[in-house]
Amino acid sequence: MNKSELAEQVSDPQSLVDKVRRYQPPQHGQHGAAMETVREATYRGHRIVVRTSYHIQVDGMTLMGHLGVTNDGQVHYHPVPNLSFNSAIELVERLIDIFPDDFAARSPEHPHASPEHPHGQEA
Amino acid sequence: MAAVRKNILTDDAVRDQYVDGVKRLKAEFLGPTTADLGIPGTAEQVSTYDLFVAWHHIAMFTFTPPTQGDRNAAHRGPVFLPWHRFMLILLELHLQRVLGDPNFGIPYWDWAADGELSDGQQVNTPIFTDAVMGGQGDPVTTGPFAFSATDPSSWRVRVEAGVQGELRTTNRGLRRALGQFAPNLPKKSHVKDALALDTYDAPPWNTASEGFRNRVEGWRPAETAPGLHNRVHVWVGGDMLPSTSPNDPVFYLNHCNEDRIWAAWQTHPGSAYLPDQTAPADLQGHRIDDPVFALLSDPVTPRQMLDVTDYYTYDTLGVA
Repeated sequence: MNKSELAEQVSDPQSLVDKVRRYQPPQHGQHGAAMETVREATYRGHRIVVRTSYHIQVDGMTLMGHLGVTNDGQVHYHPVPNLSFNSAIELVERLIDIFPDDFAARSPEHPHASPEHPHGQEA
Repeated sequence: MAAVRKNILTDDAVRDQYVDGVKRLKAEFLGPTTADLGIPGTAEQVSTYDLFVAWHHIAMFTFTPPTQGDRNAAHRGPVFLPWHRFMLILLELHLQRVLGDPNFGIPYWDWAADGELSDGQQVNTPIFTDAVMGGQGDPVTTGPFAFSATDPSSWRVRVEAGVQGELRTTNRGLRRALGQFAPNLPKKSHVKDALALDTYDAPPWNTASEGFRNRVEGWRPAETAPGLHNRVHVWVGGDMLPSTSPNDPVFYLNHCNEDRIWAAWQTHPGSAYLPDQTAPADLQGHRIDDPVFALLSDPVTPRQMLDVTDYYTYDTLGVA
């Protein structure tokens, strides 16, 4: 596609509407990759396969986003795409910092908040 | 005529146009709703600006291929640079449309210049002053994107990623936490090191790869990660951290600079994009003639993003 073709689409607002409406969102539970990470390597002719899955809860809430680990052992969580961590504990600590609205309702610092009315939301 | 992209700190007119343009797109509702994006709850119209936020998030959660959890349709793989070049071109065309200026170019933030300052001085860099992008806070209360609870036209985050990776609606001010999660910005020497790399990308074509793309994206060298692009996101903090990071207009200034670094690298002899089309099918979406993930227009291919001088040039490719 050249510049004039792309510019023509941009100049027509209906084109954008049509494109967005053609998108088919994944159904609940279909979002993201497999929760299990499979790491493979070969060492001195031996085939190594390491399967890793995480089950993480914070104050009883299970984390459902994709959490993976790379061959060098760095752990990453897809909703925070620019960071990787030495440990899953360190990762979850950062999640609590980065997503205050998701954890405020469960924090001992906000005993009266509820998931339906989390702190940090403006009406 | 191609636009000329300039340093946001050296051209006040471009700076003011950028702020004006993104605010116009934030206030433009062409018809798509949250239901079109799969966001549960009552359907609400989504602004043109926020459609870009959603596109970035959805691309990030489109794994390529879906059997692995590292490489996705816009990040952690070869397509990172051409996909974001496409995203910026499309935003630039929309900004030109709402500004009525076909020569408008997205400005860049030369963050490596600020990286030469001391850590303490970096949080006071001119870009985060009232006259440019405003300061930090939860919410940001200074500058053009300041939040006001009593002013519905003040800059509001309307779609965001939740901790479970879901896209959801919200209505709050912008968040920034400069230097909270990374102590400093990348330096010119880091950019120079990236430019010295001969190969665009290499197997395993993900965050473990050695090559220019992965260096600019910021996963290598591992011992100093996050680097370059990633480090800027992390240093700004707040809304620049989740997959909905285009919520902060600084996102585009950052990516414009990474695109400028790629343009500088492309002037080197032999600076070819990889992988080519003979690569295996599990690299679909990253090979040179594959259509990239699009949501707001027809797709382009990485090859079509290699020479974009019809669209724009930079005032300077002096990046390091």
